[in-house]
Formats: sequence, structure tokens, C-alpha cells
Amino acid sequence: MTMDIATLKTCGILILLLPLAGTLIVGALGRPVLRGRSHWPVILGVAGAVLCSFIVFGQALGTSKQAVVDVYDWIATGDAGGWFRINFLIDPLTCIMLVTVTSVSLLVIIYSRDYMRDHGHPERGYERFFAYLGLFVFSMCALVLAGNFLLLYLGWEAVGLCSYLLIGFYYGRPSAAAAAKKAFLVNRIGDFGFGLGILLIYLTFNTLDYQAVFKMVEHGRTASGAALTEGRSAAIALLLFCGAVGKSAQLPLHVWLPDAMEGPSPVSALIHAATMVTAGVYMVARCGVIFTQSATVMAVVAAVGALTALYAALIALTQHDMKRVLAYSTISQLGYMFLGLGVYAAGSAIFHLFTHAFFKALLFLGAGSVMHAMGGVIDMRQFGGLRRILPWTYRTFVIGSLALAGFPLLSGFWSKDEIIHHAMAQSPLLGGMGLLTAVLTAFYTFRMVYRAFHGAERVPQGVHAHESGKWMLVPLCILAVGALGAGYANVTPHAGGFLGFLEPGGALGGFLAPALKPFAAHAEHVGGGGHVLMVLSGLLAIAGIAGAWWFHVKRRDWPARVAEAAPTAYNLSYNKFYMDEIYDVGVVRPLKSGGKLAFGIDDYFIDGLIWLVTIVPRLLGFALRGLQGGSLQGYAATMGAGLLIILLLVLLL
Amino acid sequence: MPGLPAHYVVLGAALFALGLVGFLTRRNLIVMFLSTEVMFQGVVVNLVAFGRLHGHLDGQMFALFLLVVAAVEAGLALGLVILLYRRKSSLDSEAWATMSG
Repeated sequence: MTMDIATLKTCGILILLLPLAGTLIVGALGRPVLRGRSHWPVILGVAGAVLCSFIVFGQALGTSKQAVVDVYDWIATGDAGGWFRINFLIDPLTCIMLVTVTSVSLLVIIYSRDYMRDHGHPERGYERFFAYLGLFVFSMCALVLAGNFLLLYLGWEAVGLCSYLLIGFYYGRPSAAAAAKKAFLVNRIGDFGFGLGILLIYLTFNTLDYQAVFKMVEHGRTASGAALTEGRSAAIALLLFCGAVGKSAQLPLHVWLPDAMEGPSPVSALIHAATMVTAGVYMVARCGVIFTQSATVMAVVAAVGALTALYAALIALTQHDMKRVLAYSTISQLGYMFLGLGVYAAGSAIFHLFTHAFFKALLFLGAGSVMHAMGGVIDMRQFGGLRRILPWTYRTFVIGSLALAGFPLLSGFWSKDEIIHHAMAQSPLLGGMGLLTAVLTAFYTFRMVYRAFHGAERVPQGVHAHESGKWMLVPLCILAVGALGAGYANVTPHAGGFLGFLEPGGALGGFLAPALKPFAAHAEHVGGGGHVLMVLSGLLAIAGIAGAWWFHVKRRDWPARVAEAAPTAYNLSYNKFYMDEIYDVGVVRPLKSGGKLAFGIDDYFIDGLIWLVTIVPRLLGFALRGLQGGSLQGYAATMGAGLLIILLLVLLL
Repeated sequence: MPGLPAHYVVLGAALFALGLVGFLTRRNLIVMFLSTEVMFQGVVVNLVAFGRLHGHLDGQMFALFLLVVAAVEAGLALGLVILLYRRKSSLDSEAWATMSG
């Protein structure tokens, strides 16, 4: 079966234009006409995009082809080979991303219908929220569908813009405005590198088209026919990776993501957990040909991923804000994905991206539901024992937590285990970091569950706690099904009994394989031992959960005692390893001082020069001012004196 | 060509100097105006004298022309003085030195 280009073209265009149309309708008619019904155009538009995504997915199933769909000649310049086109590259990777992005977006938008009714300022902002979400889906789909680096960059920056707008959604709150600014600026640092990488690609290959670039890299040639040096391709890969580090919140550019939780919870779920932050992972997987040229670059990717995973998990242990715990957990899980990419297990990384989208969106929406019930409070010290008040939120949240913790047979277990397995084969150090992070993940996730939902029932003063409505619960339940079952997309039933059934590396991996060939070509053969590791990581997850139970249910005073016993470690974790403070001292303050210095130079030196120039006419004016007093006799005397001088000159010379 | 008797020129210069001194020293607008008329006459005497020196009629023509202009100008100037007087109820020229420059 081959792909039908006309269908792909129509669907691709519709996937982009339907959400955009929703945004434009809400933008134009939201406030004057639609008001409380503003969610409908966006829901319908995104639902259309979901449908088209599944059609594209169906087209791609069962074929290993990739298709390039030319839509429009964007910038016709130079010879036709180097034209900038709007084109789509449709392959299995694109399809998986499209389906994930659009479906999770749809569920989150449906959820937002009730959530934003209470949490937006209802009189203004409700329609704005949905307009932004539609714009986000458009941008993200453009990023994913793009067939060249320019369109990728457009989508990349547009999702960054949406992220900025939505983090600062409650712009009246100074902390939200600051968080939005921080996210934008930190991303700018990464994107600067990303932009340079794209420019370097154009310089080297004289085109930005994926297929043309990748083909040249495969043959090791530049546009002029010269050999492509490893240094050049590594430079391109590292610059592109800068963008990924910024967008996907990896060390050292992760600082914006925890602050991004200032935005409404559905935004955290959709943009800062499920979709946008995975753009970096997608981009690295997409540019696998370039990244795999250099083993050093891949080692950098793996190291950054493993370090970030461990680092963020350590911080998540001590945070009190549920959304912050989830934010660090997201950073940590993204670290896993980069670890997977770095050890040439791109299929596993994308698999983890896919499962993570479900359970992390579920957890964030669950946290939103708690926040909704607690009247906007999300600090776990102020409530507890909510499982009877919020039964459905509790059930779905536990499923999401089990999936995140890597509890056997749930989705997170399959994907995380695959990554650790590959990492172990590459380097025991990386694998060990992955395993350690897995224990920590289980621990902090269930710390949150036990703190928020178990123990004595406590709610903040004056809050009438209530379970959320069906518009919020139905998306939660659907996502919970995804969190339970998404892992089986990549588990193929084998004939060899129960353990054989557990063999990963199945359907999804096979489907993705053609798109991720460059990684497979370099990957070391991953030997056996998979089952041992699987049992081990399952046991570690259970151990982490049990540990959390011991600390936060059985012996509730232990966490405080541990914190007292090891104050340094506790403070390091609680204060996020002082990363914000380090940036403040190392970057923000020097820049501010530099700014002040530049301002001083401008104020005193440059302005002083200008003042010097102005003083000449001013002094002249001051000297001659007296002559224009309006005194008739004065004028006459001057004229007489002038006459006299001329007369004297004439007579004497 | 007959020589130019010095006293014509001296008379003209004296009239002009008298008018100039009057113009510079008096504050009364009408007197100042009269002083300018005296300076005029000094110039007219000079014109006639030099016309005679060169044997042209141009000097005398200019003198007649000047008298007409002076008559017209006298009418205009006196009109202006009356308007100025109505504004400030004063003929002092310093009353109009209001520009601070």
C-alpha cells in the first residue's frame, strides 16, 4: 500500500487550518458574540485535526515509505533546488507525533471548558484562552508536519510564543508575568543556537529541505561536493541541540519550566508536559542523520539527558507544590527521552514521549482538578486526605502516578524500561543513573499521592471542596485509559509464554523504524538480559512506592526527621540546587550591572558630547539676546554705531 | 566743473547729526519722528549739493521725490503713533521695550 499524496496534502492542510480557523473565529467573535461558548470553534477545529491526523496515520500504516508533500513555494530565490517551500514530510514519526499532539490537545481543551469557567477571570480571558490554545495546536502541528528547517523554525518559535502568552495568561499577577518573561528569555538562548544551526545547515548544504540535507549528510558531501567533515556536522548537531535543550528544559536551560506552572493547569498539562516540551526530542529524532554522524555529540545528548533526569528527580523529592513536583518530573522524564536518543534508542525515546504525553497530561489535569476543588490552592501542606472528596480524580491520578512510577504493566513501565535497557547496554553508568532515577520517580510520585489523597482529611479554610464536573472528569478517564494501555502499542505478543509476551520492541518500534533508520545503523546490538532488567526495574518501582508509603503514610514524621538529619542535602533539593540563585549571581546580575554601565556611559559620556555641541548656539544666543530687547533707541544706537564703523573703515582704509 | 563749497556738505552733515542725536536721546515718539525728518533734510541737502557738483539734475529729482515720500511717510507714521498711544496711553518709546530677547 502506498500513500496517497492528494489525501495527505488535504489532510495536512486541514490539520493546520482547522485549529487556526477556530482561533480566528474566537479571536474575532469571542468577546462580542460567543462569550461563554467560545470553546466550541476551537474544540471543533481541533477535533477535525484529530480526525485528519488519524487519516494520515492510517495512510502511513503498513508502508515504510516517507512522503514529501509540496504545498506552496514560499520564497522563490536562487536556483529551484534551494527554494524555500512549505512542504510536509510525512513518515511514521510525523504520524505518531500528530496523533499524540492533536488527541491530547482535544482532551485538554474539552477539560478546559469547565476549568477555565472558574479559573479564568470569566468576564475577560475565557475566549482569549481558547484562541491561544487553537493557535498552539496550529503551531505545534506546523512544527511536526514541517518538511524543511524553515517551517520547523516557524512552528518552533510560534509554540514558544503560545507558551509565553499562556504562562502569562494571568498577566495581572506579577509572578505570572515574570515567569512568562523568564520562559521566553531562557528559550531565546536555546533558540539562538538553534537559529545558528539552521544557518550553518544552509551555508553547508545550500538548502533547508529535510530530504536534500539528509541525503547529503548520508553521502558525506556538502553542497559544493566537498567532503563533509565530522567537525562541521557535529557543530550543526550541537547548535541544533541547543534549541532542544532550551525547548525541552534540559540542564542547564531547565529553569523556565518549573516557573511556567504559573499558567493555568490545562496549559501545564498540554504545553509544558505533553506536547511542546517534547519538540526538542522530536527534532533530535528527526535530525538523527546529522546527530549520529558524531559519537561525541550522541554522548553529549545522552549525558545531558541522564544528568537532567537524575537532577530533576532529586529536586522533585522535596517540593510542596503539586504542580512543581510534576514540572520537575516532566524535566526528569524528558531527560529519559534524551538519554534514549543519546544511546541510539530513538524508537524507545519516541515511545516514552508517546506514553508520557498521556500519563503526564493526566497527572497535570488531575492536579488541576485538585486545585479546582481547593479553590486555587495547590500547596500540599494545606490539604490532604482528599480521596473521599475527589473519588474520580483520585482514581485517575493514581493510575497516572503508577504509570509515571513505572509500575509493572502500565505504560510508563514499558517505555522507561526500554530506555534503561538500551542505556545499560551502552554504558552501565548511564543505565545506573536511569535506574536510580526510576526509584526516585516512584518515590516522589507516591509521596505526592499519599500527601494529597491519603491520611486525615484536610482542606484549606473556607473552601467548599467538591468533585469536578463531567467536562473535566471524562478527559481524565480517557487519559487514564491511555496511561494504562498506551504501553501496549509497543508490546508484541510472542509465542513464548508470559515472559515472551513481555518482550518490548514491538509494533510501535517497527512502525517507527523506517523514520529512525540513522539511529539503528549505529546502535549496538542490545543483547539479552532484558527480562532481568525488566523485573529489576519493576521491583525498584514497587520499592519506591513502598518507600513513599512508609515515609508518608506509616511514619509521617520521618520526612521531617530526615530533613533535620541531613539539612544540607534537604536544602539542596528544596532550593533546586540553588540553580536560580546561581543564575542570578552568574548571569542576571552581571548583565544588569553591564546594563547599568552602558546606561551610565550613555547618560554621561554620549549625552555629554551632545550637550557640548548644543552649548555653542546656546552661548551665542545668550550673548546676542540683549540686542533684541525691543528698545527703539537701542536699535537706533546699534545702527548708528554700525554706520560709524563702516564710515571709519571707508575713510581710514 | 565748479568746486563744491564745503559748507553745503557741512550743513547736510550737521542736520543729519542733529537728527541722529535727537532720535537717540529723546523718548517721545513724536519728537523722535521729527528727528528722523531732520535727518531726511540733511540727506536732501547733500543730494542737492552733490547734484550740483556733478552738473546733474538727478540729485534735485531725488530731493523732490524724497519730499513726497517724506510727506506720505509722515502721514503713516503719525497714524501709527496715534495707534500706539491708544494702546499704552503713553508716548514713551521705552513702553514698547517688552521683548526679553
